[in-house]
Amino acid sequence: MALLEAEQVVMRFGGVVALDNASVDIEPGEVTGLIGPNGAGKTTLFNVVTGLLPPTSGKVRFDGVDITRATVAKRSQMGIARTFQKLEAFNTLSAFDNVRVAVEKNHRTKWKHRRVSDVAHEMLGKVGLDEVADVTVGTLPTGSARLVELARALACRPRVLLLDEPSSGLNEDETSAIGQLLLDLVADKDNDLAVLLVEHDMSFVMGVCARIHVLDFGKIIAVGTPLEVQADTAVRAAYLGSDEFRAAYAGVDE
Amino acid sequence: MILGLRRSVVIAASLGTVAAVIISILTWKGAPVTSETFLVTTYIGLFLGALWAMYATGLVVVYTTTGVFNFAQGAIGVFAAFLYWELHVNRGWHSLLALFVVVGLFAPALGVVLDIVIMRRLRTASLVVQLMVTVAIMVLLLSVVGDIWEADTPRRVPYLFGINNGIDLGPAQLPWHRLIVFVVAIAIAVSMRFLLRRTRIGTAMRAVVDNRELAALNGARPNVVSSTSWALGSMLGALGGILIAPELGLDPATLNNVVIIAFAAAAFGALRNLPMAVIGAMLIGLLRAHTGAWLDFGPDFRFAHLSVAPLLLLFVVIALPQARLEVGRLAHHLRRHERYTNWWEGLFGCGVVILLAAAFSGGWLDFGIWDPGSWGSRELNSADEAMALALIGLSLVPLIGWAGQINFAPLAFAGFGAFVYLKVIGGGWVTFLGLDRFGLDPQQIRDIDNGYWILAVGLLCAPLGALVALPAARLRGLYLALMTMAFAQAMSLIFFPHPWVMPIIGTGRQFPHIELFGVTFDDRRGFFMLMVSVFAILVYALVLLRRSRYGRRWMAINDSQAAAATLGVPVVWTKVVVYAVSASMAGIAGVFWATVSGNVDSVQGFDLLLGFNIVLLVAAAGVSIPMAGIFLIFIPLFKGFGLRLEDAGNVDFLVTLLDIMTTYGPGLMVLGMVFNPRGAIFEMGRGFSPILPWRKDARAEIAAENAQKREPEIGELGLERPFTPEEVIAIDRRLGILDDVVPKEGYGASRS
Repeated sequence: MALLEAEQVVMRFGGVVALDNASVDIEPGEVTGLIGPNGAGKTTLFNVVTGLLPPTSGKVRFDGVDITRATVAKRSQMGIARTFQKLEAFNTLSAFDNVRVAVEKNHRTKWKHRRVSDVAHEMLGKVGLDEVADVTVGTLPTGSARLVELARALACRPRVLLLDEPSSGLNEDETSAIGQLLLDLVADKDNDLAVLLVEHDMSFVMGVCARIHVLDFGKIIAVGTPLEVQADTAVRAAYLGSDEFRAAYAGVDE
Repeated sequence: MILGLRRSVVIAASLGTVAAVIISILTWKGAPVTSETFLVTTYIGLFLGALWAMYATGLVVVYTTTGVFNFAQGAIGVFAAFLYWELHVNRGWHSLLALFVVVGLFAPALGVVLDIVIMRRLRTASLVVQLMVTVAIMVLLLSVVGDIWEADTPRRVPYLFGINNGIDLGPAQLPWHRLIVFVVAIAIAVSMRFLLRRTRIGTAMRAVVDNRELAALNGARPNVVSSTSWALGSMLGALGGILIAPELGLDPATLNNVVIIAFAAAAFGALRNLPMAVIGAMLIGLLRAHTGAWLDFGPDFRFAHLSVAPLLLLFVVIALPQARLEVGRLAHHLRRHERYTNWWEGLFGCGVVILLAAAFSGGWLDFGIWDPGSWGSRELNSADEAMALALIGLSLVPLIGWAGQINFAPLAFAGFGAFVYLKVIGGGWVTFLGLDRFGLDPQQIRDIDNGYWILAVGLLCAPLGALVALPAARLRGLYLALMTMAFAQAMSLIFFPHPWVMPIIGTGRQFPHIELFGVTFDDRRGFFMLMVSVFAILVYALVLLRRSRYGRRWMAINDSQAAAATLGVPVVWTKVVVYAVSASMAGIAGVFWATVSGNVDSVQGFDLLLGFNIVLLVAAAGVSIPMAGIFLIFIPLFKGFGLRLEDAGNVDFLVTLLDIMTTYGPGLMVLGMVFNPRGAIFEMGRGFSPILPWRKDARAEIAAENAQKREPEIGELGLERPFTPEEVIAIDRRLGILDDVVPKEGYGASRS
């Protein structure tokens, strides 16, 4: 059974349908991709899964438990962590303190026998930010601030990690380092971690994801391995954005 | 959703109606309701509503077009009313000429100057800074009015065309003045609506507030537009002030308090909807007039009829939709390495504070040519008051400074603390709870060391803080400021004046001299030093708190609530805790505040301006830095010092300087936040810390900054095209290109 399931989620903002019966499932031990053109509803889906937005209808299940009505903090304690597309780092705090806030909150439940500062340093080390640990995050470059968010999310010792465009603001080397980190994290059986990745860098997505969901206008238009998705005509249409294309291939998949 | 209304609106409206009906039944005066009395009351209500609608229109226009909620709107009206009085009454100008000069020339000029000097720079500032700066303008304007037109002369602004001329409406006479006010208010609201919605400049105004750069690209001129907005808003404020002055009298505080009613009306229209704001103003006017006519709240609640506006504001704000967990403002002026005062620096600083206070008050200072001598009771009185306010101000550091929760009600919390203290030490609760059966005697309570009771006050005030936090936790920024302000006013109109809360008994001391560790602090200097010590201890507690996980967590929810929540931090609960801590501190401060004068008078009257001044002082000092609290202590020290100077004579210049500093200082310093939003102490600390022998890091930082000034980053070289040849060379150097040949006209010239 999937670790995290979003089932037939509908999210309406007034007349705008941001998510239209979107269903996504994530398995532990692999990185699942979520791609789609701008405005497809990827971030909205993240917000619904983490509880920042209550869905108009549909269900979110974590480990078989219905969490559609659970608070954001409760979901975090259950093991859902995320990063944000628009940076939400604690700008006035240092990188170390950013992570420390997360460790402290989860210390009793998840890091019982370790010192807070040790865990925080380990997490910063994982994303390669040891050197700027005491730098105020608001003064760091965007890419590094994203990594702070990632370290902070990891400090929650998540079972599901939702990453919203982690590579934006990073250069090629840094991106591939993050890709490797994600693969290592999910490969580690002790972590039992599932990652859902929203990303625009296609080579990055195709490189790390075992399966990919494609979202377009709030609908899931394709699910499959990177190869299957790349070959999918509806996906191509969505990315090319041509209306005739879309009309011609509507209903071919899903 | 019922009838398309949000659930919270329906709940708040029905609760409000039920409460209104119950209160009406309980307090019905029994006066006969005839169509005549009813109509007259309604006229009065509509007229009052029209006056407030004028203020509310100004607020809404400025808010929709500049994004700044102008707390100084009322103060502009006050200033204009006094200027009008000066020209028309004092200098004998014709009323229409004076009106034209004030509303048509002075007010728009003031608006434009405010925009150019201050408001334009606030565009990207945080909401706290925006709010503080408009509050500072309010306080400064009122201080200027107080200095130019001394309060002891009675003044009246006459009605336009006299009070006796007008049209006969049957049951009542409607003077021209009131008719004009009504017509003008409605005309202004309608024309502003038309201006904003139907004209080119109005569309540009609304566009500029959403996205200044984009609007500029589309041909709007943002600076012209925002100056126009401020000129308009200022004119509306001035007109409102002049027209309302005949009704309320020419008193700065009374006239300024009108803004709270205008705030309530504007909030009724969600701060942007002009017709709803006007309806809100009318509603408040009608409620005020009809409660005055039909209801009698009795002597115990003698100010309750004035609380219509703050209560409506509370209801409206609570009915507002829950703020989504979002944040987006960039933090400015961050330092690369933030450094928190550590435990021994804190001890050192607090020790210095206590020593300084002892030296100032004990006459240890001797300047050779002039020895100020020790303080007498006059100096100590003045310093005690300021010290108590400094203690209250300290309670805002965790709340505003760290958690970013704006609170204009510190005095209400302090007053509540004084109330709890009065009740607790009175010992009446022993009998009330039936504890006397167990051999407890109220007299015994009075004999127990006060220190325990002061701590008990701290504990008992925490629930009040939590109570305010619950609705507040749903709100953000501006609405939070309005809610706390309304809460403070409601408390001072309904709660504190009640004789049970603050009974006035005889002329003696009601708050006894504080007794601690068996010592009674009944001599002035001892009490002053006790307050200084409590202050130092609280500052030190804040120093430690800021370094703790709680301090971190509170700063984190200020930076991003959404992120904090996704890390498992329960945001609402965290806010409740911060409010409780702040309320405890303010409550303890309130005990000292009440003990300074010893009777309930000082605590009873809530002065809106005093509350604002405390918040301003803390903000000016740099509200996020616990050691900044130490800054607050200089106010009492200067006060005492200034009085000594005055006694010594011959130093008029210094006395005047200190006087100006204490009157205008806080306001001016807050205006400084336009340039550095982190406050004065922050700047001072940067200048001061490299001197400290152990602060190698501060010296290294200065050195690094200087090095960076010589070698700017490419991004900081300026994107203004065309590049000057020097800039091109600088860019080339940074890129490692050694070819210093530059075309004469510079690069990028063709782009323009």
